[in-house]
Amino acid sequence: MKQPPSRQVWLACMGFLALLWLLPLYTMLANSLKTIREIAQSQYVLPPSGLELRNYVVALGVLRHGLVNSTLVALPATALAVLLGSWAGFFLSRLRFRYSQTVFFAATIATFLPYQIVLIPLTQLLADLRLINTRPGLIVAYVLLNTPMAALITATFFQTVPAEMQEAAALDGCGPVAFYWRILLPVAQLGLLSTAILIFTTIWNEFLIPTAMTQGTFNQLATPVLAGLKGNYAQLWHIQMAGATLTSLPPLVIFVFLGRYFVSGLMAGTLK
Amino acid sequence: MAYTRAHALLFLAPLLLIVLLMYGMMAWTVAVSMDDWVGMAPVWKFHGLGNFRTLLGGALRERLFTSLRNNLIWLVVFIAPTASLGLFLAYGLDLVGRAERVLRPLFLYPIALSFVVTGTLWAWMYDPDAGVINNLLRMIGLGRWAQPWIADPGLATFCLIGAAVWQYTGFAMTLYLAAIRDMPREIFEAARVDGASDVQTFRHVVIPNVGHATMIVVAMLILVTLKVFDLVWVMTFGGPGISTEVLPFFMFVATFRQQFIGIGAAISVLILILAVAVVVPYAWWSMRRLQA
Repeated sequence: MKQPPSRQVWLACMGFLALLWLLPLYTMLANSLKTIREIAQSQYVLPPSGLELRNYVVALGVLRHGLVNSTLVALPATALAVLLGSWAGFFLSRLRFRYSQTVFFAATIATFLPYQIVLIPLTQLLADLRLINTRPGLIVAYVLLNTPMAALITATFFQTVPAEMQEAAALDGCGPVAFYWRILLPVAQLGLLSTAILIFTTIWNEFLIPTAMTQGTFNQLATPVLAGLKGNYAQLWHIQMAGATLTSLPPLVIFVFLGRYFVSGLMAGTLK
Repeated sequence: MAYTRAHALLFLAPLLLIVLLMYGMMAWTVAVSMDDWVGMAPVWKFHGLGNFRTLLGGALRERLFTSLRNNLIWLVVFIAPTASLGLFLAYGLDLVGRAERVLRPLFLYPIALSFVVTGTLWAWMYDPDAGVINNLLRMIGLGRWAQPWIADPGLATFCLIGAAVWQYTGFAMTLYLAAIRDMPREIFEAARVDGASDVQTFRHVVIPNVGHATMIVVAMLILVTLKVFDLVWVMTFGGPGISTEVLPFFMFVATFRQQFIGIGAAISVLILILAVAVVVPYAWWSMRRLQA
């Protein structure tokens, strides 16, 4: 059957919308490379005449502690949340017991409720532990907030591992701990990668927790520093955009190079 | 080979402890909402429903209702366009063949960005004097359409929502595309053989079959509106005046800026009530599906 001309119409329409969706990213990148003189001319949609990398030096000067802190908080918190969550995910997906459903239900609610609901006690808890305004404190907060999510998602990925594999392992005398480490984790490694990507980007992009729990240049994460940079460099769009680019670099790089796993984590995160 | 109680404890204990702690903290928030706690150190002075009275009928009434009204605007104006545009794009992607691989990430990438980045970017888009949008309008000779955007109290919340629509449309699109791809291809073939146009196929074949995805999209987007904080903070800080304040923002300012901890907790409880109305049915529904 001949392709109807409607495909061309769709393609044109989708292409136009895609350009519209790209416009903010383009303006961010293009203007992050312009000189102050070019910015003052207000020709924002024109490409930069050269590569003004000094903008990035200025932005990095402000953001560098924040970027380091974000990395040192997001990586360990992600690893811990995925590890602890995957234990429970293993249990919930493979080892049925009477209260599995109750645990699943309770964890789902804990996953999806807005952080504001536990923000005051969480702040108090970290203050009592003398962890407020420290990286370990932020790691603790993020592990608490993300482990339920990690448990639910890893459970959905583990469910796709055939039950026969576990039975065969059991016949060979492989206990649950060995099965988890030697068989389940390697078999489900791409699911774990998706889970880790979702949780890492969630933490990296998060703003409420560090805004409530940290202050001062040396302790803050990248997102509050970027918010501060926006205030301190008002109207200096080239610096703001360089800062925004630096802050969005890790999640965007993951999105570009590990897009499939990013999407599968995003979808699993809705418990689709 | 035995799966003993010890194994169960080993695997499940961390999650159980964390979930119990989370519920404990929720209960703690509810307790604080009934206390007259002002300042940094905990003050346990029972205040009954006094904080709620202050919010709903007392000194903070106007501020609370501004936040509630804005959350309602978010609910209506954010969700419907994001979901329907997402569905439209998903159907479009399904029709353009191989170009889908190129086009899909171009709509989805904003979801990888932080709301803080989105806010920084869009605050500039909307800047009344030196903003990209007004600049573009003047460039193409539509200067009379230029607006004060986020500086206009009547328009500002809608501007924030515009940025959020940009960020979340790809998310809705991806969920809908998965739903369309899950449909049996024969339905589309049959519609084509019957001579149905794309619009007719969309209305009579696609829409009736994506109810499931719509549930997920709408639930997730409602939760976004109940925790929107970063975007407001970065783009307007609640302004002009208090015109763009929403519950999560008001909660933060009351708690951490003005140190009315009891009031902040009471606002959290209001958020909790609204969120529970969405999360509990959603959790129930997910559990039934996944454990079935």
